[in-house]
Amino acid sequence: MAEIIRKVTQRILKSQKRSKVPLKSSPLQLALLALVIIFLIVYPFLPFINNYWIDVGFFVGIYVLLGLSLNIVLGEVGLFDLGHAAFYAIGAYTTGILFIQLHIPIVALLPISAIVAGGFAYLVTFPIIHLRGDYLCIVTIGIGEVVRITALNNPFGLTKGANGITGIGNPNFGLFSLHTPTHFYYYIWSIVVLVIIGLLNLQKSRVGRAWNFIREDEIATEANGIDVRSYKLLAFVLGAALAGIAGNVYASTMMTISPDNFTFMESCLLFCIVLLGGLGSISGNLLGAATIVIFPEIFRQFASYRLLFFGAVLVVMMIFRPGGIWPRRREGIGFRGLGISGLPPDEDEFLKKILKKAALVPQGADPASRSSLKTETVNEKVNGDLILETQGVTMRFGGLMAVNQFDLKIREGKITSLIGPNGAGKTTLFNVITGIYRPTSGKVIFMSQDITDLKPHVIISKGIARTFQNIRLFPSLTCIENVMSGPHCHAHSGTWSSIFHPPSQKKEERQILEIASYRLHQVGLWQYRNELAKSLPYGKQRLLEIARALATSPKLIILDEPSSGLNDKETEELMDFLKKRIAEGFTLLLIEHDMNVVMGISDWVTVMDMGSKIAEGLPREIYNNPRVIEAYLGKEE
Amino acid sequence: MAVLGANGAGKTTLLKAISRLVHIKSGSIKLKGEDLNKFPAFQLASLGVAHIPEGRKVFATLTVEENLNLGSWGIRNKINSQDLQKNKDWIFHLFPILKQRRKQLAGTLSGGEQQMLTIGRGLISRPKILLLDEPSLGLAPILVQEIFQVIKQIHDEEGVSILLVEQNARKALGVAHYGYILETGKIAIHGPAAQLEEDERVRAAYLGGARIQPVK
Amino acid sequence: MHMFLEQFLNGLTIGSFYALVAMGYSMVYGVMKLVNFAHGDLFTLGSYLGYTILVFGAGWITRVLGIWGGVVVAISGAMIAVGIVGLVVERIAYRPVYKVGRLPVVASALGMSIFISNGIMAIWGPRFQAYPQNAIPSNILSFSDIRITFVKLITLLVSLGLMAFIYWLVEKTLFGAAVRAMALDRDTATLMGIDFNTIILFAFFVGPALGAMAGVFAGLNYGRIIFNLGWVYGLKAFTATILGGIGNIPGAMIGGLLLGVMESLFEGFVSGAWKNVFVFLVLIIILIVRPTGLIGEKVAEKV
Repeated sequence: MAEIIRKVTQRILKSQKRSKVPLKSSPLQLALLALVIIFLIVYPFLPFINNYWIDVGFFVGIYVLLGLSLNIVLGEVGLFDLGHAAFYAIGAYTTGILFIQLHIPIVALLPISAIVAGGFAYLVTFPIIHLRGDYLCIVTIGIGEVVRITALNNPFGLTKGANGITGIGNPNFGLFSLHTPTHFYYYIWSIVVLVIIGLLNLQKSRVGRAWNFIREDEIATEANGIDVRSYKLLAFVLGAALAGIAGNVYASTMMTISPDNFTFMESCLLFCIVLLGGLGSISGNLLGAATIVIFPEIFRQFASYRLLFFGAVLVVMMIFRPGGIWPRRREGIGFRGLGISGLPPDEDEFLKKILKKAALVPQGADPASRSSLKTETVNEKVNGDLILETQGVTMRFGGLMAVNQFDLKIREGKITSLIGPNGAGKTTLFNVITGIYRPTSGKVIFMSQDITDLKPHVIISKGIARTFQNIRLFPSLTCIENVMSGPHCHAHSGTWSSIFHPPSQKKEERQILEIASYRLHQVGLWQYRNELAKSLPYGKQRLLEIARALATSPKLIILDEPSSGLNDKETEELMDFLKKRIAEGFTLLLIEHDMNVVMGISDWVTVMDMGSKIAEGLPREIYNNPRVIEAYLGKEE
Repeated sequence: MAVLGANGAGKTTLLKAISRLVHIKSGSIKLKGEDLNKFPAFQLASLGVAHIPEGRKVFATLTVEENLNLGSWGIRNKINSQDLQKNKDWIFHLFPILKQRRKQLAGTLSGGEQQMLTIGRGLISRPKILLLDEPSLGLAPILVQEIFQVIKQIHDEEGVSILLVEQNARKALGVAHYGYILETGKIAIHGPAAQLEEDERVRAAYLGGARIQPVK
Repeated sequence: MHMFLEQFLNGLTIGSFYALVAMGYSMVYGVMKLVNFAHGDLFTLGSYLGYTILVFGAGWITRVLGIWGGVVVAISGAMIAVGIVGLVVERIAYRPVYKVGRLPVVASALGMSIFISNGIMAIWGPRFQAYPQNAIPSNILSFSDIRITFVKLITLLVSLGLMAFIYWLVEKTLFGAAVRAMALDRDTATLMGIDFNTIILFAFFVGPALGAMAGVFAGLNYGRIIFNLGWVYGLKAFTATILGGIGNIPGAMIGGLLLGVMESLFEGFVSGAWKNVFVFLVLIIILIVRPTGLIGEKVAEKV
């Protein structure tokens, strides 16, 4: 037993060192971490600790595990799950039922419980994952209750009703069976340690980042080619599996389970742990769980008031410290803190290397070739020189005709501007192109492929990138993390790679970082790389969004009013920047109201009014076109 | 008075600042000498300022009549039911189609009718000052004609001061006495409407003339 | 047939509780886009306050005002007190948090819910409390072979009456139009001169007050109450809200009555132990198939 613990401790320390926070706080953090680990290891042998308190230590472990499981769903992705006890229950009851009915050994039941709980989560969340926040919350409460009531009603005599299942065996490793509080204590904490390592790895991986992107802004995430739905389901399944494991451990150590262990209040308690600790913060979770379990133990006479207290604390926390007691720190942690290995110690060194590599790629080459990640866009052929074409696209909303038989032609390597008075239908057309709306009739052809019926995130991964009129960044993430969402859709590391970090995953992470760093540098924001996106001034936030779009290595970038909110100088710089991107090999479509920008950099202008195309041509032709003048200024009387 | 300019020039924001939906960072807005800053947005209606927002913002699931009645909410303590009826009759006189559709849900009206409803709703409180934001937006020319006629009527017959924000510069200058052209939040050109109508700079301000290379 | 009618009446009764609570949810959600988790617990608080008034005032009230007088005092007292609590909750737990984001507001609402229900437990104890028998009128009415207690009858009449009143208020008066307008488009409503704070006052006083009335009626009808009564009621009432279309107050009424009847019939003809599962399945199906509700949402469209 001691050997195992020692080995585990070594592994933790090693992996912590690798992915650790940079130099300034490292010694303190490491020291703190070492202290905690030592404390956890020697805890049962401390002088004043009797079996009762070892039991308490066990329960802290269970709640840490449960908190971590909910943290994936609530903390990382931001989905309001108030029925998480259901998955805990499924794990516990699976263990209980299968042990009693089929005598399957407890240890084998651990992975089985995880799988059953995860599978259950998939089945029930699949039909509802698209619901908006508040509704999802209510449904999860409902799911929690359904599970509990089902257990209570003893279907097929399996769950044994209100008294629950008794006589569940202890975990049994061949000759050795766990049976003392000390055994159980080390058992749960070994599992917790392994889970924490896995979760830390997940946090610092493509999967973890995708979850955080969804939490910050779902629409922007979708617009970066990321399949939001799949990631949400993954979070639920993983969270449920971990809760199922907790259920198995609880059942096999307490030997008794009943529906009372899995009430709504239990789910609320877990919710409190995650929120009080800090969303997405593993250390916060530890603290939250410890508080929730130990607090009523210390103040025994107030034990029945603990929820009253926590309810009040929750309200107060939300007012004064909504980030939690120990929120996860993101700014200033640097590239190392993102979990990326094989980097030179100096980040500027890293940038220099990338720039040298980039300088070797000839101007005008396919932007995708600059990326070391393979994209699907590179080998498609273009019809004539038309990179994007809408053929007779019509969009009708009930009786309102928003877009009428629109033929938009975007030529490769040119800047095309789509202009028109307010309410002309530009945004609607734009949404049709990017797959948010399905046109009433007509087609959208991109690079000779019909993309009309494709989902938005698929369209993006085919080589179209977009920015938003009202800037949609991921505000609480750093600038470099924001831009790292670009290459995301071209990478391939899945869940298992993200947990175990094999060499192929590490290489991919480096590649993602390379592309992101390059683009961030290109828009002139390299110095802000480790700062939070929300701390940037407006003009720079615009540039960050453009960097993110560039990082998708698209062929076509659609910019929605990019000069909106910029002052004259910033607009001039933007125009310059956009012209240079053409030289680099991109194609641009602008929706713009600032006519100085349109007339200044466009190669081609298409004019839209009341849903129809009323003119197109060179900028100077449009300027003198009587129909255009009429559309904007009104008819000559 | 007309406030003109390309999109994004800040016209709507200006109106929102006046009606206190948006906070101003510096400067002041005075109504008859009184600083408007100290009033919260919802009190403006009772002060005689009506802001008709852009985008035909009718309350879709309320009837036409309910929409109109709500227009009088700001002055409901200062007005009795007879006066309210008189005001309503005046609106129905200006826009006969609204009388026809008074029991219909506002969301079922056509674009032009909705626009008329928002204007009627703003007028029903007999404001002294009307802030009109892009009344011609998305409307067919013939409806635009009708609406501008009404705008002129309101001013001439009722003496309402109107601050008109418009994209359709010609129409706006046709009814206005004075005009301001905004560019990126600042006043670029201003003058009597008749003068502005002839001014080539107006086209340039709208269509970005400064950037065009002259045709040889 | 006899069983059907009885269950139907039971269903209407419990349905009217759901309806009263659901209206409160709709009012608040319509204006604030906030699911007031604490609402169900305010229902519980109402029933406990009613209980306290009856227990401690029993002798005096019955002597002076008669047994029905006691009921009236209990209901009005509970309504006013809980209405005030509703306003206080909004002011201290929600208003400071709106600007932070959506999740903190939900968390705060949840915290408030936990606080109130556990507060009730702290004050009145964790066990069932029984409404004093001598304070509850016991007359029974019977026609053909159906017996209905006076209490149930009055519950139905008063609840339906109040619902009719609220319906009239919301749909037929200018004030109601103002409330609906604010739910649809806050900015434009403000331009009309409608004060957001007034609407909040309405939503957070009237809503909880209605819930409190339902709470007292529940106590009178079922005899016993417990501190976590509200949370299941609240959940089912929210199901009713969604059934009718969130933000739609008349919809909430119909949703509540409908849900109550469906639940009662299910309980009577299928199974009592699984009735809550049935209700939640209804919720999930509605959300998947017709999330705007049977009658239709009445809230601002998200751009």
